[in-house]
Amino acid sequence: MENRTSSCNNRLLALFLLWTTALGLVGCSTSASSKYFGRTSPPSDNVLRYVTGSEPETLDPQLPDGQPEARIFMALYEGLVEYGPKDQQPIPALAKSWEISPKVDEFIFHLRQDAKWSDGKPITANDFVYSLRRGFSPETTSRTAGLGYAIKYSEDFNGEKVFIKKDGRFLTEADLEPTPAKPSTPFGPETEFRKFMQSPTRLTIYGDEKKRTKVLDGDEKLKALVQGAEFVPIEGKDIGVEAIDDYTLRITLKQSAPYFLGLFAHQFFRLVPQHAIEKHGKDWTRPENIVTNGPFKIKEYRPYDRLIVERDPNYWDAKNVHLDRIDFYPVEENSTILNLYKAGSIDAFLNHTVPSSWINEVRQYKDEYLDFPEAATAYYSMNTTKPPFDNVKVRRAFLLGLDREALSKFRKITQPLYGKVPQGSFPDYAKAAAKVGEEIRNEKGIAADAWEKRYKFDPETARKLLTEAGFPVVKNGDQFECPTFPVDRLAINFNTNENNKSVAEFLQAQWKRNLGVTVPLKTMEFKTYLPFFKSLQYEGFAQFLWSGDYMDPYTFLSLQYGKDNEGAAGFYDPKYDKLLDDANVELDAQKRYELMARAEEYLMEQLPMIPLTVNATNWMKKPYVKGMYPNPGTLLPWKFVYIERNPAKWDKDVANIMNVPDAQVDQQLADLVSTQKAAQK
Amino acid sequence: MLSFIIRRTLIIIPMALIVVTLTWGLVRLAPGNFYTGEKKLPAAIEANIKKKYGLDQPWYTQYGMMMSNIIRGDFGDSVKYQGQSVNEIITRHLPYSATIGILGYLLALLIGLSAGTFAALKQNSSFDYGSMSLAMLGLSVPNFVLGPLLVLVFSFWLYWLPPARWGGIAGLILPVCTLAAIYAAYIARLTRAGMLEVLRSDYIRTARAKGLDEKTVLFRHALRGGLVPVLSFTGPALAALLAGTVVVEKVFAIPGLGNIFIQSVFNRDEPLILGIVAFLSILIMVFNLIVDVCYGFLDPRIRYE
Repeated sequence: MENRTSSCNNRLLALFLLWTTALGLVGCSTSASSKYFGRTSPPSDNVLRYVTGSEPETLDPQLPDGQPEARIFMALYEGLVEYGPKDQQPIPALAKSWEISPKVDEFIFHLRQDAKWSDGKPITANDFVYSLRRGFSPETTSRTAGLGYAIKYSEDFNGEKVFIKKDGRFLTEADLEPTPAKPSTPFGPETEFRKFMQSPTRLTIYGDEKKRTKVLDGDEKLKALVQGAEFVPIEGKDIGVEAIDDYTLRITLKQSAPYFLGLFAHQFFRLVPQHAIEKHGKDWTRPENIVTNGPFKIKEYRPYDRLIVERDPNYWDAKNVHLDRIDFYPVEENSTILNLYKAGSIDAFLNHTVPSSWINEVRQYKDEYLDFPEAATAYYSMNTTKPPFDNVKVRRAFLLGLDREALSKFRKITQPLYGKVPQGSFPDYAKAAAKVGEEIRNEKGIAADAWEKRYKFDPETARKLLTEAGFPVVKNGDQFECPTFPVDRLAINFNTNENNKSVAEFLQAQWKRNLGVTVPLKTMEFKTYLPFFKSLQYEGFAQFLWSGDYMDPYTFLSLQYGKDNEGAAGFYDPKYDKLLDDANVELDAQKRYELMARAEEYLMEQLPMIPLTVNATNWMKKPYVKGMYPNPGTLLPWKFVYIERNPAKWDKDVANIMNVPDAQVDQQLADLVSTQKAAQK
Repeated sequence: MLSFIIRRTLIIIPMALIVVTLTWGLVRLAPGNFYTGEKKLPAAIEANIKKKYGLDQPWYTQYGMMMSNIIRGDFGDSVKYQGQSVNEIITRHLPYSATIGILGYLLALLIGLSAGTFAALKQNSSFDYGSMSLAMLGLSVPNFVLGPLLVLVFSFWLYWLPPARWGGIAGLILPVCTLAAIYAAYIARLTRAGMLEVLRSDYIRTARAKGLDEKTVLFRHALRGGLVPVLSFTGPALAALLAGTVVVEKVFAIPGLGNIFIQSVFNRDEPLILGIVAFLSILIMVFNLIVDVCYGFLDPRIRYE
């Protein structure tokens, strides 16, 4: 009897498998035949249903660092400036205009006088002062506070440091190392606070005695200087943020930072409500207590299920908010998101979501699929502190032995990355880089075509370099071999993920074919991987993804800046740092880019990492959703978004979406930007 | 009986504390932290976070604080979802898992018990073969295959049911069916096997010899004995279902506890992990106790001293 049952089962199983295969085939062919991907009809209400990805950690904008939260915060909170819908460049928000000091180390913002919180309370410059002091306060434990460390004394305040007072005056950096006093140029009204900000930078040291002793023990000069001094804790009031009057705000940096304006749109710099926080403490973000100031306010919040926001009538620009409501759905499973989209249950979803197995299918829907370059890149870092990757020739061999065009074709949705800064996100920088490249080529006397190909696939040179580095590559039949290369110690390391694995396998195969080296693969869970790779426990390669924090190439170039940098390659080069420092004190934007391009070129010569790909936005929206653009960070200013009910006006061929004018969006943008333009005149 | 229940109840708490301790140790051994991300944190920020959560204290102080809180029933706040307490998260998300879990299990019982009983009564009939083959299929098809298949048919071909997300009865049908399939299959096979054994036993022959009608033999005598294997399966199964079924919750985007439990591990959200583990271990022990007590009712041969 047992046998009969099992053979019957086998037959049924075979039938079932056939059936599922058939289902799969039919599924593909039916959907491809229609113009749109699944059900496509605008929602009956004036609502956008959007999948945000993972559940937001909290609704306090100063705490989390994730993108899903960033998008929700863009609906709920506003700061001085907002990301532009297409290019993500700062546009006026609560600040209707601003002035930047000639040295780009001071900003004066002129605030709108009609801005209100969702409970009707007016917004003034003091709200910004409170928000920033709170953000940098050590008790807030903001993970993004580091982005704002260029604000004077903010890092010291955040790190619980103290000023040093001796003989009735505060010690300054000049007491430790005499430097010529920097003359202060007038900028805005002269106040007591500005005098303090412009006075020589005070010396700071850890407030914690243990840490302080450790520092002092290592610095005899400082120890002698501090002898008998009094320590004054640095407080929120000491950081470079000043309300000149109710509607004028001044922010002072400790150094020139030309990229800083774009940062003010980051969630860390958005306003938080002092009155609600003081009243409700840590419970202020609960729906019954929360007070917001963005275009939308919370209507309903069911964690892990939905966050519904509705247009806030108290918002200063409420008349230009086109949606009545946005329903944010936290869904993490990519196939589930695609299912919801196909069934017409949602109108758009977050970036990086279409799984690679769906891409060929989805790509046919040209009115819906958004494949644009992102300000995000993938690299392989190499541990340059350990042989053989301490040798730049070896690093270069692995770069040239890799066909990145093939990699991008294989990945379907990425573009090859040839430098440190992703191409496609910074057009002005690209122009500067081309100019600088030409100059360096002429300096070095390299032929144009050789220069063009210098980082591109060249297996011949790669083998030659590896041989020169002491690992001879020999030809055996139609294959190459590099028997002395110490592959047993090395690995391609990555965190467990289907895409990462396929990239690693692809590279492994390429290097095997082109260099005769088979590097083993090693994978681990994300949180296990991070410390393993950041603290240089790996040997060989480690996969690294980096997305920009703000729209300036510096967000990519700074990765290898400083001794304890984020690059995770053990790379530190004072010459590179110097090049970047020089760039950042340059006030002319184009010249600054040129200096940065020189730094990038230098970094590529040193090559602590192998650039792989520029990531793609890879998301979809229904054609009736308008005013929503695939900008480089998929950071969407929601007040531009609207639902178009007339199918004739729906988006067509979205590959061109950035160039197709949309009268409503263009007008709205022009009106917003006009206040700053008028002020500049 | 009563002393048995009391004894077993008393053991649940220390057992749960041991489980929590072991879990705490494992979480501590795992590399990474709730605040580690792709971007490196400045040292000052890391120090602030450590200070806030007491991570700058020696491990025994941390363990002591954790244990004293847990003994008072307070698992603290989630470190990932700031401002939400662990108790609040569990009570908020348990009902989602419990709803699909209980409905799924009831459906599985309905299908499994009837199919298994009929198959046993009509042993070697075409119904027996058919239902058992189907059961085998149900066991072999994992729910991450069955779920998407049901979505394909009912959401994209027929447009009858939503493909995912919580909301309304329509949204429950697919996840409940997906969940029920494997359990129904298992129960059907257990019931059939149990019934076959019981139907051949002496006391059933006695019952028939007494002249009892077939209905009474079946429902009063056979079914009780035949259900014992199903019962021992039900305890842990129901506990697992109540606590959430990760795959079904993921496929259908249901905000249940299972999904949150897995996420909490990936997030290294220690208070939440410990809270859910403690809750789960108590749940499983309580259900096992209930099952053990029920044995006594179903099978007169089992007695507790």
